[in-house]
Amino acid sequence: MNSDDNAGPGGSGVSRRNFLGGGLVVAAAAAPLLLTAAADAAADPTAPDPAAAGAGLVTVRVVVNGDPVTVRVDPRATLLDTLRERLELRGTKKGCDRGQCGACTVHVDGRRVLSCLTLTAAADDRAVTTIEGLAQGDRLHPMQEAFIDHDGLQCGFCTPGQIMSAVAMVGEGHASSDDEIRERMSGNICRCSAYPFIVAAIRDAEKVMR
Amino acid sequence: MTNSPVGREIDRVDGRLKVTGAAQYSADYPAPGTAYAHVVTSTIGRGTITRIDAGAALASPGVLRVYAAPDPRLKLYPVAPQFRGLVENYAPLQDTAVRFHGQVIAMVVAESVEQARDAAALVTATYDAQPPRTSLADEPRVPAGPTVSGSPSNLTILAPGVESIDAALAASDVVVEAEFHQPVQHHVAMEPHATLAVWDGDRVTVHAGAQIPPAYALLLSQRLGVLPQDIRLISKYVGGGFGARVVVWSDALVAAAAARELGRPVKLVLTREQMFTLVGHRPHLTQIVRLGASRDGVLNAVSHESDAEMPVVGGFNVTPAHATSDTLYRTPNLRVGPRQVILDLPGSRAMRAPNEAPGAFALETAMDELAVATGVDPVELRLRNYATVSPATGLPWSSKHLDECYRVGARRFGWSRRHATPRARVDGQWLFGVGMATAVYPATRHPASVRVRLLDDDTAVVSTATADLGTGGWTMVAIAGADALGIPLKRVTPEIGDSALPQGAPAVGSSATHSTVPLIVGAAREAIAALKQLAVTDPRSPWHGANAEDLRYEEGRLRAHGRSMSFGRLLTALGSRGVDATASGPGGAPAGYAYHSFGAHFCEVRVNRFTCETRVTRFTTVADVGRVINARAARSQLVGGVIFGIGYALLEENPLELDTGRLAGSTLADYLVPVNADIPDIDVHLLDRPDPLLIGPLGDDGGEVGTRSLGARGLGEIGNVGSAAAVGNAIFNATGIRVRDVPITLDKLL
Ligand code: FES
Ligand code: FES
Repeated sequence: MNSDDNAGPGGSGVSRRNFLGGGLVVAAAAAPLLLTAAADAAADPTAPDPAAAGAGLVTVRVVVNGDPVTVRVDPRATLLDTLRERLELRGTKKGCDRGQCGACTVHVDGRRVLSCLTLTAAADDRAVTTIEGLAQGDRLHPMQEAFIDHDGLQCGFCTPGQIMSAVAMVGEGHASSDDEIRERMSGNICRCSAYPFIVAAIRDAEKVMR
Repeated sequence: MTNSPVGREIDRVDGRLKVTGAAQYSADYPAPGTAYAHVVTSTIGRGTITRIDAGAALASPGVLRVYAAPDPRLKLYPVAPQFRGLVENYAPLQDTAVRFHGQVIAMVVAESVEQARDAAALVTATYDAQPPRTSLADEPRVPAGPTVSGSPSNLTILAPGVESIDAALAASDVVVEAEFHQPVQHHVAMEPHATLAVWDGDRVTVHAGAQIPPAYALLLSQRLGVLPQDIRLISKYVGGGFGARVVVWSDALVAAAAARELGRPVKLVLTREQMFTLVGHRPHLTQIVRLGASRDGVLNAVSHESDAEMPVVGGFNVTPAHATSDTLYRTPNLRVGPRQVILDLPGSRAMRAPNEAPGAFALETAMDELAVATGVDPVELRLRNYATVSPATGLPWSSKHLDECYRVGARRFGWSRRHATPRARVDGQWLFGVGMATAVYPATRHPASVRVRLLDDDTAVVSTATADLGTGGWTMVAIAGADALGIPLKRVTPEIGDSALPQGAPAVGSSATHSTVPLIVGAAREAIAALKQLAVTDPRSPWHGANAEDLRYEEGRLRAHGRSMSFGRLLTALGSRGVDATASGPGGAPAGYAYHSFGAHFCEVRVNRFTCETRVTRFTTVADVGRVINARAARSQLVGGVIFGIGYALLEENPLELDTGRLAGSTLADYLVPVNADIPDIDVHLLDRPDPLLIGPLGDDGGEVGTRSLGARGLGEIGNVGSAAAVGNAIFNATGIRVRDVPITLDKLL
């Protein structure tokens, strides 16, 4: 799939109130890939995966946080569920599973996508960055630092998604004003309502990242 | 102690874990052999299940079990009498009754998420359906039970010679009478409810978000029929509570029971859709407020009545005048009368400021109407009716600086530039208006225990089974520990969110901090006493044989007889890993006073003249919450509460289909909560006036530990009280249109 499908006119694709069009395109675009992948799986029926029992699996090669990974997954598996349940990268969160909250935001080839709307099979041959891959060892990414400094989080559940969105948005050059930040971060719901502090954190991190 | 972190801007101690994705929420724990569950919910609002066809699901790949109501394999016990009213009153999957639309009727367990989800979609049910009771207006109403604080919810106070509240109103120069409607609203914690149950013989470890870990474990043990000590509840990181994680819901029960039956760990994560019926909502209600006053706005009578839903499966007893109309203004005649209406709806639950948010919306809107009717400035009107004793109880307040909140807030906001006449400020397409309202929230202390352990590496562990829902609980425990022990924050390890720890204060009712902090002070004092005792009795100690009273503890060191030693070095010298002490408190506060936090909200909105879209453009809140423990987390809580109020005023509504009992909104695109673009900068100012009656066990002298008498009150909910009225009052000032039914959507302003 083309991860651009998640990037709507707002740049994010994660504006909750206009995501639907983007989301549907994602699923449709993924279909042809699936078929190829399923055929691939059929050629190797010996795969040792108990979860498979009777289902045609798909082999997906993906680079996750710099590490090449090959997984055999259910063709229905979303990138979010694969990250969390198969690769045990549970920093990425599931808030709604239907593209409406942004908690599952990761980068695919450097662009922010909603991993709940992305089939794992569609991430074949792509590079995925999750919240676990953002810091350089012990050194936090400036966005992570700024979220701590400004208290851009409370319960922290939306935070991985907020940070992944924010990093990509700044990278896209779309954090020029508070209003622009607010608009383009509106696909990431924070029920604890840390919004003013999220804006302040991004404003700060943007200066460091520039 | 000069370096105390109390009241400063302190980073969350759990911040790093949260920004790196390393904080483990309930669904994030690995458990080898985990099976995945997915529940199926009812599609009628009331009736009986006649048949559940699970054949296709059972034949589906990877499916291990399909549990369909009634399923005796999942043994769950009825609610024990002592827990009635605290939880839903039925046992899920134990009978064929459908009590509400969206109830669990079956559950699939499979090897993978995908297999469970898809198989669940193959389960079909047939019903013998009956019409559900859904109408607040048409079903019988009964007086509501006691308030959350145990006081009678129905109350009439009349001045000598006055026969009734109606007579008092009739005798008033000016009367405002207004009816308010609030639909079903939802907590919408960002973390969907998740349960991971791992059995080991007869013992079970459950990972689930809980606002009261010890109570959650106890309730769950009773329903599962295991001994309380055989259940351990882990709830370290919780993706929001807001009241939705106070009790054990049906999802946790069936997941834990299935894990026992299956003999494997079971993980059940509710879908966002299921969250709208299975884990509670704010009950919908109608309120009628009547105010009688003199021509210059002095209140003669306040009457506040309400009809709120009470789901047949149990729920929150809304008493919206509690801590609002029975507290805020001086009046010789007062009547509060909440009623409830039994309906066939999903279980409801307290949602952030459960009485006070709806109650203050009604009262503070009515006060604005009185300001309009009398021509008195809204701030001045409130000062004219300022209460110095609680109207309901006659008790004076432990501490009350609400008048200062009004004054400071008005100044910060620029209230004096307000135009009293609606539609007076126009800028292009936009009508601008300002409004204000009062905030109030009761302060209650709950029983709790805290253990403080001093270790040989010069660190201290402070343990208590409270929960951090995003509230800053981890950091609060660390700050109070550092303050009480006089050591740097980084040498304190907080431990919370685990039912195996000493019983913690509930993270409900804005009470966790002021319930916990005094006990941290007490436990620290006891731990230091134990350290001194050890120092004088152990032959290896330099102070062996000395008098314990001669030893002074200061900033992590013992001093006496010209020697000084850190507790870590002393413990090391004595070959001891550590000393500990536990302090327990019964909760409560000195009798004879009323305890409340207060605040004042000021809001500016613009409303589009053509589309009637409303945008909040400025917001100032000044709050009197007692001592502030962590300025940063406190501000976040206040701002979060205000934003909840903005959602209450402008966005949040789950429409109820009267003929089916279905809550029509089931996604975050149907049920709108505020997003970043909806929210301006919010100016929050905290007065930081310690409550002289809510202090640690040491009293005010400080002594050698707990150098401050803390005097904190709650602040998690007060931001959400009155803020919606401030928005609505600003909309009136902008447009001249008074909307009493939330949310104030643009169709109501056209
Ligand atoms: S947008 Fe993917 S989980 Fe909500
Ligand atoms: S921090 Fe709790 S949802 Fe954003």
